[in-house]
Amino acid sequence: MKIVVCVKRVIDYNVKIRVKPDHSDVDLTNVKMAMNPFCEIAVEEAVRLKESGVATEVVAVTIGPKAAQEQLRTALALGADRAVHIDTSAEANERIESLTVAKLLAKVVEEEQPGLVILGKQAIDTDNNQTGQMLAALAGLPQGTFASEVKISGDEGDKKLQVTREIDGGLQTIELSLPAIVTTDLRLNEPRYAKLPDIMKAKKKPMDVKSPADLCIEVASKVTLLKVESPAERKGGIKVGSVDELVDKLKNEAKVIS
Amino acid sequence: MDFALNDIQQMLQDSAAKFIQNDYDFETRRRLTESELGYSEENWKLFAELGWLALPFDEAYGGLGGSLTDLIVLQTELGRGLVVEPYFSTVVLGGNLIQRHGSESQQSELLERLIAGELKLAFAQAEPQCHSSITDIETSAERSEEGYHITGHKAVVLGAPSADLLVVAARTSGNRGDQNGLSLFLVDPAQPGVTMQAYPTNDGFRGAEIRFDSVKATLLGEVDSAYDAIQATLNDAIVALSAEAVGVMEKLLNATVEFCKVRKQFGQPIGKFQVLQHRMADMFMECEQTRSMLYFGAITVAGGGEEASHAASMLKVKVGSAGRLVGQQAVQLHGGMGVSDELDVGHFFKRITMINTLLGSRDEHLQRLIRNAQAA
Repeated sequence: MKIVVCVKRVIDYNVKIRVKPDHSDVDLTNVKMAMNPFCEIAVEEAVRLKESGVATEVVAVTIGPKAAQEQLRTALALGADRAVHIDTSAEANERIESLTVAKLLAKVVEEEQPGLVILGKQAIDTDNNQTGQMLAALAGLPQGTFASEVKISGDEGDKKLQVTREIDGGLQTIELSLPAIVTTDLRLNEPRYAKLPDIMKAKKKPMDVKSPADLCIEVASKVTLLKVESPAERKGGIKVGSVDELVDKLKNEAKVIS
Repeated sequence: MDFALNDIQQMLQDSAAKFIQNDYDFETRRRLTESELGYSEENWKLFAELGWLALPFDEAYGGLGGSLTDLIVLQTELGRGLVVEPYFSTVVLGGNLIQRHGSESQQSELLERLIAGELKLAFAQAEPQCHSSITDIETSAERSEEGYHITGHKAVVLGAPSADLLVVAARTSGNRGDQNGLSLFLVDPAQPGVTMQAYPTNDGFRGAEIRFDSVKATLLGEVDSAYDAIQATLNDAIVALSAEAVGVMEKLLNATVEFCKVRKQFGQPIGKFQVLQHRMADMFMECEQTRSMLYFGAITVAGGGEEASHAASMLKVKVGSAGRLVGQQAVQLHGGMGVSDELDVGHFFKRITMINTLLGSRDEHLQRLIRNAQAA
């Protein structure tokens, strides 16, 4: 079985985000970029399925500028077999929206015919949480979102996928027929560290580069970003003199108890 | 010149940084330094799995053929995490000596075990009287029908308490100060005649004073001709140690800047005071200059030749003075907290102070440069 795993280049999660002075967007100048952490979990799950013998090939896909190949190389170093880069350098002025991403990925899915597609549930830059679901709709495949456990059972030709989903207040386990789409939640696995020999081998693994035009998809943003603001600064705490004063403040200032 | 990391170096840096962030936080490191062993065997196995132990060795011995620049990428991250596992003593010193001076069979057998994480080494070179001189060696090796036997005293042997084998520099001919007549030996530290007085160093690492009393030793490579291998290895080691120092200094600078933004006095963050801003600007400049000097040192030392030792000394001088300024200012700006055991700043300060004394202090290298300039 072939697994397609999708990765996105985002700001490294350790970086403190700065908003541009004109509030038009986040400032990406000289900012360290990395693979979206949920995508790392997706790659790890795909590689584990390959190591356990369930999958035979892992194909990593990304959409973005040329620099996004760094994240594909990371996926290859972590254990993916080959990569597909959909280069959007020519569309640098357009915002690549979730629907466009899903359409491009649907084309890749059509070409690759994988048994399973794994994506992160959302990217930490825009927090949209849309691509996996849209891809499932466009490709006409069943979806298991927010997966905290993935199990594949059954004989060849009649394999079933069990996905445990993290939902409000508990867990839900569903069974899907394959091929299917899975989006990963935080607790699905703990990604490994890239081994140095694998990092070196990754350089030699094949990487296809395509453009959106090759896949007959038009990249044109339909949503305009109006304004970006930093979160409000947290006010400093205060010390209270007694329990009574605390209760009074909780009641009358914070209004969290009545 | 392009100083950006290549793809492989970037991924190595990311992988190492992630390990430090996830599995080597300050409290974990503090527990390790207080443990009996002084480091974690599990981490050592992980280093082997991740290929870090194979980094600088030739592919012929199962290594990855990494360059000195690749090594400084990893060493900088190890500095940021104050990693106490004996990487420096085993890979940078011991392993490199075997690769440079060992016989073909010694190289393949020992490096294979080292890369697999099954062999830890320590380099016993310095002696109480030698002051960073490579040739001022009194420890001697006598040859008999049964082989070589070593007698002498080695001081501050880093990583010795955990080492499976010691690489010992000893004199087989000539007098103190001669370049010829130096040889390297492999010594099992568990055998009778080896007296090891182990101790934790000031910065949480482990070292030992070792006395050899007619101890059986195996010759490493050729007799009488180890000087060049020792010199080249120590030059590499200065570059690696300086990379660690850069990691330490950057951590100290960042911690200090962050602290000065939140610590308030007279109704405002202390970072608003211009005098303190000047200090932090000085710290920043020293960090950047040391990083530039590190790149210069790495390129020149990798090129070998006479320039290599000269560049290594220049780098060590810069690391000594910059490390002192950055470390001391970090402590000063933090106030008393800066030397408390609970805050990492004091531990980074101890490490940067120890780095200055390792492989020859700033003053010793400066004197060496002056002597060379006068002789020229």
